[in-house]
Parts: sequence; C-alpha cells; structure tokens
Amino acid sequence: MRPRLVVALIALLTVCLPISEARAQNALVVSIWGGNWKNTVESVIGKAFTAKTGIPVEYEVGGTIDRLAKARVAKGSPLVDLNFTTTHVARLYMSDGLYAKLDMAKIPNAKEIAREAIRSDYHLGTWAYVYTVVYRPDLVKEQITKWSDLWKPSLKGKIALPDFDPSHIITIAALMEGGNEINWQKGEARLKQLKDSVAAFYSTDAQSQDLMKTGQAPVQVMLSVNAYHLQEQGISVKVVQPTDYPGIVGIDTVAVMAGTKKADAAHQFINVALSKEVQAELVKALRAGPVNLGTAVPAGLKGQPGIFLTAAEWKERGYIMNDEARGKTLPAWREWFTANIVKK
Amino acid sequence: MKLLLAPAVVVLAVFAAALAALFRWSLLEFIPGSLQTGGLTLANFRGVLAPQYLDAVWDTVVLSALTTALTLAGAYPVAYALARTPSRRVRSTLLVLTIAPFFTGAIVRTYAWVLVLGNTVLTWPVPMLFTERGVLVGLVHFSMPTMILILAAALSHIDPVYERAAASLGARPARVFWRVTLPLSMPGIVSGSLIVFAWTLSAFPTPEMLGGGKVKMIANVVRDLGLDSFNWPGAAAFAMLALALTLALLAGLGRLAGGRAA
Repeated sequence: MRPRLVVALIALLTVCLPISEARAQNALVVSIWGGNWKNTVESVIGKAFTAKTGIPVEYEVGGTIDRLAKARVAKGSPLVDLNFTTTHVARLYMSDGLYAKLDMAKIPNAKEIAREAIRSDYHLGTWAYVYTVVYRPDLVKEQITKWSDLWKPSLKGKIALPDFDPSHIITIAALMEGGNEINWQKGEARLKQLKDSVAAFYSTDAQSQDLMKTGQAPVQVMLSVNAYHLQEQGISVKVVQPTDYPGIVGIDTVAVMAGTKKADAAHQFINVALSKEVQAELVKALRAGPVNLGTAVPAGLKGQPGIFLTAAEWKERGYIMNDEARGKTLPAWREWFTANIVKK
Repeated sequence: MKLLLAPAVVVLAVFAAALAALFRWSLLEFIPGSLQTGGLTLANFRGVLAPQYLDAVWDTVVLSALTTALTLAGAYPVAYALARTPSRRVRSTLLVLTIAPFFTGAIVRTYAWVLVLGNTVLTWPVPMLFTERGVLVGLVHFSMPTMILILAAALSHIDPVYERAAASLGARPARVFWRVTLPLSMPGIVSGSLIVFAWTLSAFPTPEMLGGGKVKMIANVVRDLGLDSFNWPGAAAFAMLALALTLALLAGLGRLAGGRAA
C-alpha cells in the first residue's frame, strides 16, 4: 500500500509541477522587499498592470542584498523581470551589467516625472522619501526644528542613528561645515561631538520603529515613511521639516533586468507605475512622495517632509546625494563611522 | 560500512566547497561601489586587522568566556536539583521551565529582554540595554537551558552511593560536593562549557538587538561588512579569520579541559 501511495504522490507532483512552471512562464516576475512594500506594489501597480494588459504578476520577495546576490548568480538568464531597489544599490546592479537599458519610448509617462527621478538610462524613481529628524514630543519636551538641534546637550543619550547607512548624518554634518558628501571629511569633527548623544544605532527599519515605540531612543534620524507609519499606529511622533538644511532624499527605483524575455511587458509595468493615477494610490498607501509631478496628493500630506509635488519642491526641500559617490564612499563612511562614532 | 558513510562524505564535501568559495572571495580585491572584484590580494586580511575589527574579536572572546562562566554557575544548581530531587512533580516542573525557552524563538526571547532591560518595565541603577552587561544577560539566558540539560545528564549518571560513602566517612555536605560530586560531573561541565563557548562565539541576534549597534560581536561585523558596506571580500576575510580563531580557541580549550578532566 505504502509504495503505491509514494508512486501516486510522485505522479501528482510530476503532473502539477509543469502547471506551476507554465504559470510562471506567463507571469511577469517582480523582485521587491517584503511586507508593506510588496503588498502595496502588488495591490496598486500589479493590479492596475494586470487589468490593463491581462498579464499576471508574481513577486519574489527578499532583502536588498539577498536579491542582489540572487540576481548576480542568475546573470544572463534572470529569475525576475523587474527589480525594485534603492537608487544607490541600483548602481551595484548596473556595475555588474544586471540591468537593461530602458527604452524610454515605451515609457511615455516618464515624461511627466521629476527630473530627479530619472536616475540613469537604466533605472527610474518610483517614489521618494526623506531621512529627517523625527521625535516623540511626549518624551522630548523641547521643540526640535533643525538638524543642528541634535547637537543640543539636552538630547544626550536620546538619539538613534542608522548604522547600516550613516550617509545621511555624515552628509548633514559635512553640509553644516560647508562641505558635502564628496568632501565629507569636513564634517568629521562636528560628527564626533554627537557621539555621546547617541543612545543606540539601528540596523533595520523595524529596530528603528521599536526604539521609537519603546521610548529607548525618542529622537531619531529616521525614514519619513516609517514615521508616518508610526503616526498611523497612534504613536505621537513629530516629523521635522528642518529649517537649516533639507532632509536627505531617498528614492526607490525600478529597472528591467538584462536578459529578460519579457522586456515589453516590463516596460509597460513601469509605465503603469509612473502614471498619475497609480502614483496617487502609491502616495496614499506608502505615505511616500510621488515622482509624477501631476499626482493628486491628500491635503494632509501636502508640504510634509518627503512629499515633493513640483520641480521647485524637489530642488529646494530635499538634498539628493550623488548616487555614484554614495555607492563608492559608503564602505569608507561605514568604516569611519564605526571606528569613531559607534565604537565605545 | 563504507557506503553508510557516503551521505556524510557528501555533506562534508558541500561544506568544504562552500568554505573554499568563501576563502576564494577573501582573496579578491574589493572595488567600492561595484559588484565586480579585482585580482588576487591580501589587502582584505590587512583591512580586517584594523583596531575596530580586532576589538570586535576581543569583545566576542571576553563575552563568550563570561557567558560560559555565568551560565555554568547559574545552571549547575538547577541541574543538580533536576537530577537529584526525589519529587517527581518538582522534577517535571523544573524540566518544563528549562525547556520552555526552546519553544519561543530566539528573536522573541531577545525582544522580551529589550523590554526588560530598558526602562519601560524596571528602572535599573545602571544602564543595561545597549551595553555589554545587557548583551551578557541575554547570552546567559539563551545558553542556560542547554547547559542545564547537559549538566543534569552528567549528574544523573553519578551513582549517589559515592556521595553517601563520603558522608558516612564524616565529610560535610560542602566537602562531599567539592571532593566527590563536582569532580565526577566534570565531563558534563567540560562538554557544556565547550558547547556554550562555541555557540556564543557565533552569536548574532542577541548582540544585534540588545547591543543597540554599540556592542559588536564577530557575526555582527561580518554582516555589517557584507550586507551594509557591500564589501563581500572583506566580510569573507573577516569570517575566515574568525573561523581560524574559533577553531584555535576550541582546540586549545578542548586540550586544556581534556587534561583537567583526565
């Protein structure tokens, strides 16, 4: 009886596997982070794309580096057709020839997006946010209005910074000393003065939000979308629009994988993602800024940190680091930051 | 007989291939801002000998040694009670309490410590969260169940007749423990300590969550180099260095403990 059962199971698997493979062959496969990112892209962009084209979409979910490593291993015959990642990590994909050059004629909606969202011939921004100062007014009695407030002695032991990517605070310190991300060393001395104020360093967005929720670090250099997410959960956090220097802009991008056999569908997907209607839905779901300049945004989000609606706002209310410099200098920044700020 | 060894050989070959790939990566030149690597170089090994990385190695060894000692001290009385209590109910209760942590994930347990060691539940006289002290508490808690079970197994193998004989010859309970029970339980102490020391050397979630980025152990540094700096050759070099150190330490400790136990 048992051998018969095994044979039946094997036969069932043999029959079923080609079906799932066939489904995968028809579908457009999108690589993206998990959680809210995947859910939003699936429900907003994926649905609109399938409704328009009839092509189903499947998602490969993973962390930034897991997905990069997989893409590298599958170079030439990619396992996915489209990839979402941050703009500076996209440079790593490009450095290894993992992205296909975009055919802009197939993405007419790209004509409506901010100049800053056209990151290269290979990748386009889909939404934006800022790293800015976020704090809990119930635990920090004084008002924080500028980046330089972080250096106030009263905030000693209350601040959390990201250690996985210290580029934001390094750039701000450099800007305060008349430099920028290229000659970042100008801000070294100022940044060292911040060392004693740091309660913790966080490696993930989840850790950052936990530190804020528990009050262990009620002042943070934090992603604006995460701060809005905390507000939605009923946690009173204030997202600062710094008056001295702008927030550091982050742009998440999408690109077509080199070697994909579904390049046309992939371009269509990007075009759908950049349309005004889909952008408006993305803003509502992610609380991130649109890249299409004609996007309608809920009144409550207009003018908020990370929400740029005009070419002028993109220019004036956010600081965009040079992708290439950021990608090349990040290891040196992390090394310096660990040795001088993180180390006891 | 040889055929029976075949699966183990295959598994070993896969691990050896992975290690060889890691070693190869450690010798490739890192090009910042690129996934491409350059030619062969020893620069990655020179790079990871910088003070900040060596500090992480030192912190890891010290934390592992302290964790082993504190876990042993904390686990021994519990293991003794578990092995020697005549009450079935007490034994069952102790056993359930000991193995209960295995049924909650490491992340959940560590997250609970984030709440306890912070100032949300208790107010501590000295800072605990995001310090070595806090990480040590988490590591000891994580290691306790395993140490208790190993020690309890060793203690239950000691025939109580030896202790009774010592007592009948006039030895007080403390002397019986120091001269009879403790030496006879040495195999359990040695194996438990080696296991706890070895896995604490590779601890990751506890220092990651309780250290608040300020306490870095070897695994955290490997992750930082590989996943945050995109420096895969550097991460591979540090991992190789850490592996060599771990093997050397364990070999040394094993030899030392073997001598003592004998």
